[in-house]
Amino acid sequence: MKKCLAIISVAMLIVILTACSSDDAPSNNASGDWEPEKAIEMVAPAGAGGGWDTTARMATKVFNEAGIIEEDIGVVNKPGGGGAVGWAYVAGFDGSNHNLFVASPPIILVPLNGQSEYGYDDFTPLANVIADYGAFAVRADAPWDSLNDLFEDMKEDPESIAVVGTSSPGSMDHIQFVQIAKAAGVDVTKIKYVTDPDGVGLTQLLNGSVEVFSTGVAETVEQVKAGTIKVLGITAEERLTGETLKDFPTAIEQGIDASFVNWRGFFGPPNMDEAAIAYYEKKFKELSDSEEFGAIRDQYGWDEMYMDSAEYKAFLDEQYETIGALLDELGLGQ
Amino acid sequence: MGSIEGILSGFQVALSLEGILFVLIGVLVGTFIGMLPGLGPISAIAVMIPITFGMDPAPALVMMAGVYYGAIFGGSTSSILLNAPGVSGTVATAFDGYPMAQQGKAGKALAIAAISSFVGGTVSVILLMLFAPMLSSVAISFDPPAYFALMFLGLTAITSLSEGSTIKALISAVIGFMVVTIGIDPQTGTQRFTFGNVNLLEGLDFLVIALGLFALAEVCTLIINRKDLYFENKRKIGSLKITKDEFKEMRGPMTRQSFLGFLLGVLPGAGATIASFIGYITEKRISKNPEEFGRGSIKGLAAPETANNAATSGAFVPLLSLGIPGSGTTAVMLGAFLVLNVQPGPLLMTDRPEIFWGIIASMYIGNVFLLILNLPLIPYISKILKIPRPLLISLVIMFSIIGVYAISFNTFDLYMLLLFGVVGFLMRLFSFPAPPFILAFILGGMMEQAFRQSLTISNGNYMIFVESPIAISLLIVGFLSFLFPIVGHYRRKRKGIQ
Amino acid sequence: MFKTLNQRISLVLLVLAIVYLVLAYQLPSFAYTVIDADVVPKGLGFILISLSIGLFFAKDSDTEEQKARRKIPKKDIGTLLAVFGFVFLFIFFLEILGFIVTTAIFIFGCSWFLGYKKPVTNALVSILFPLFMYIMFTKFLQINLPQGILPF
Repeated sequence: MKKCLAIISVAMLIVILTACSSDDAPSNNASGDWEPEKAIEMVAPAGAGGGWDTTARMATKVFNEAGIIEEDIGVVNKPGGGGAVGWAYVAGFDGSNHNLFVASPPIILVPLNGQSEYGYDDFTPLANVIADYGAFAVRADAPWDSLNDLFEDMKEDPESIAVVGTSSPGSMDHIQFVQIAKAAGVDVTKIKYVTDPDGVGLTQLLNGSVEVFSTGVAETVEQVKAGTIKVLGITAEERLTGETLKDFPTAIEQGIDASFVNWRGFFGPPNMDEAAIAYYEKKFKELSDSEEFGAIRDQYGWDEMYMDSAEYKAFLDEQYETIGALLDELGLGQ
Repeated sequence: MGSIEGILSGFQVALSLEGILFVLIGVLVGTFIGMLPGLGPISAIAVMIPITFGMDPAPALVMMAGVYYGAIFGGSTSSILLNAPGVSGTVATAFDGYPMAQQGKAGKALAIAAISSFVGGTVSVILLMLFAPMLSSVAISFDPPAYFALMFLGLTAITSLSEGSTIKALISAVIGFMVVTIGIDPQTGTQRFTFGNVNLLEGLDFLVIALGLFALAEVCTLIINRKDLYFENKRKIGSLKITKDEFKEMRGPMTRQSFLGFLLGVLPGAGATIASFIGYITEKRISKNPEEFGRGSIKGLAAPETANNAATSGAFVPLLSLGIPGSGTTAVMLGAFLVLNVQPGPLLMTDRPEIFWGIIASMYIGNVFLLILNLPLIPYISKILKIPRPLLISLVIMFSIIGVYAISFNTFDLYMLLLFGVVGFLMRLFSFPAPPFILAFILGGMMEQAFRQSLTISNGNYMIFVESPIAISLLIVGFLSFLFPIVGHYRRKRKGIQ
Repeated sequence: MFKTLNQRISLVLLVLAIVYLVLAYQLPSFAYTVIDADVVPKGLGFILISLSIGLFFAKDSDTEEQKARRKIPKKDIGTLLAVFGFVFLFIFFLEILGFIVTTAIFIFGCSWFLGYKKPVTNALVSILFPLFMYIMFTKFLQINLPQGILPF
């Protein structure tokens, strides 16, 4: 026992020493009226390893390593309720200037589905940073070559075509498909949607259990290259750039006037100070423009999509309207 | 590039100084994190991702793979010593590992776990190397009806996990199944039994249940017996040596479960947990003396430990050759690939053979490292049992709390942990077995989802379950395995009378 | 009527099953699915009802060893309740006082209460252990634990 203790104490001493040496004193740079006075907490309202967690960890990494923000930024995971637990947690920091969180369309969808008492308008939108898009894929040997082919068949015989996604009805994978299908004139109440929460939707597509896979653009690239699936359409406004990606037709160019952005940005708690908002806007712009973050964006296949606080707010209001109407039509809104 | 050259280039990566070094770092970090209760491969990989950013992809991924199987390897320690499984894949390890440790054979139990893990890991890597490209079609062959049938087959094991009363085992399982229905239903988005509480929307985490029913319930027993001299004697660690006879006993389960575990690992969504349970159950079923299981049986420990490690290698098949993450852990692993600008998928083997084969080749070395690192450490690690009982009790409680907090960051889950501790203790008092509860909790949710997915796809036609050859054969095996113990029981009874 | 233990347990389970079923019948219906969210829970509720009725009439199959487990001295029940109380307080104060302080107090207090009477070793373990865990989690693994009242 004694020996054990001795080893532990030595180990701890080393740990403490190394930990202390990395603590730098915050330096002052005269870039604005407000500066963080202590470490900033960045909440990822999900567990480790997901999209929110990755975005949060990558952003904080660039913030600190590129010296954009000198203060320490710690990522805190608050998983649960598809985000609801994390939002309730951040809402508790009313007026704080040192608490941020990463958000994307679920902050509009989850409250609309009646699963969170807090929605986007309870928080302070700071800046949007990236955009990602949805893709609709079918097997390479499927009879459809365009979204219109697919939607024609869906209008005639909705029972024969099943769509699979990772999230439940009323959330992203479902809504992005419904939004495009609706614009093409499909009766959205007849769409056969299957949820595969274990993330094996692609398997179900490849083995022929389902006909269509509604997912993110990045998830389809390798399979398209290998010739196992084809992407009938993506939800972006314009064609994307990059190898393979540039070959994916948008819904708009196929004459279906609809798009869906999987945006990702950062929010603060309710009632954040104006000066702090201005500070973060500026810092997120620097982040978005930095080479390091650009490299990360390319790696994950994300698009750049910067919006400042005011633009972001207007964008969110519009999204809320559109999606709210769609959910009402499906009878899912609450 | 032909595949032989590919394999050679893989070994070149794995056997380079850099490769060996990173495998070593990976398995070290992996076992260490895996040993901590509550931290499994997901957290281990997730915390390593930012560190690998910007590194050369081949050594970085070799390291990440090491973290992954290292964490599974290390996960058995807390199951065996403290009855506190930190990852779902090691719950079945506690069934016989903990009783064995309590009989004063902790050293032997850990050694058996290490060796079975090594065998499971190594045999499955050989299978991976030989069949990875071919197995990708197996990986996608399971449609929802087949998954339903597989989960059904797993659940039929409930009766064989009972300790006496079958009806109590069934009740325990039904309640476990009920608990997993709490939360948002993925197929409809309906909130079930959440009472409007946001903390219940995603349902209860597996770890809350496992640590409550196993670790905290055991703490209660320890508290009651803390002054019992009989218990003091159980603090012996015993020798590490495995005798020839014991090794003979391990051989069967190790061989069978290396193959079975690997195959189950290949199926996306099945993974180490299901492999370890099915491994445990099959060995109990075919054993000549099934009554030993649950009381420190060598076979009962070797089987799940071989199977979960074999399944871990198996999970690399869909990940590497299809780019399909079959589980939460491999999904995070996929994230690790993306950070390094490597996209796993059907083209990985031809485009980046040194990465594809490098990872596989490094697993041989990684498994050897794990064995060499772990065996000499066993006497030190098992000293945990020498800690005076009152202090050990406090530490186990603390570990359970950290374990749950580190995944949920929420005190609500801790109160739930406490609640399930009480439930677990009451279940023990009234002889309701905990394993069927946890088995139904793990398999029940997936079974319900697969059942409903199937029927949505078939527009409500139940024939979908008999049309698929995989589904129907698994269902038949399931029914037989349900009936087999009952018939066996009946026959034994008749023999007794005659 | 409710003489045997099995009969009493079966009544508790019956109540549980009925509550669960009542809740299952209140689940809202969803228009676009073949098997709705309430089907499986309803099935489970009825299975539990029939199993608890089965248990009501089942013979007591417990072995002597299992029966012996139930004989807990009154004093130990008090100890158990006290430890559960400690754990409850531990959880309650965890995010208020922070991980290190709460855990240190818990380990020291709980071990002392359960009869560990070496104050020096106990104090050392209960301070060093949480400190070690805290630093490892927050500094190396980048997993945040509640900081609480301490400045780091």
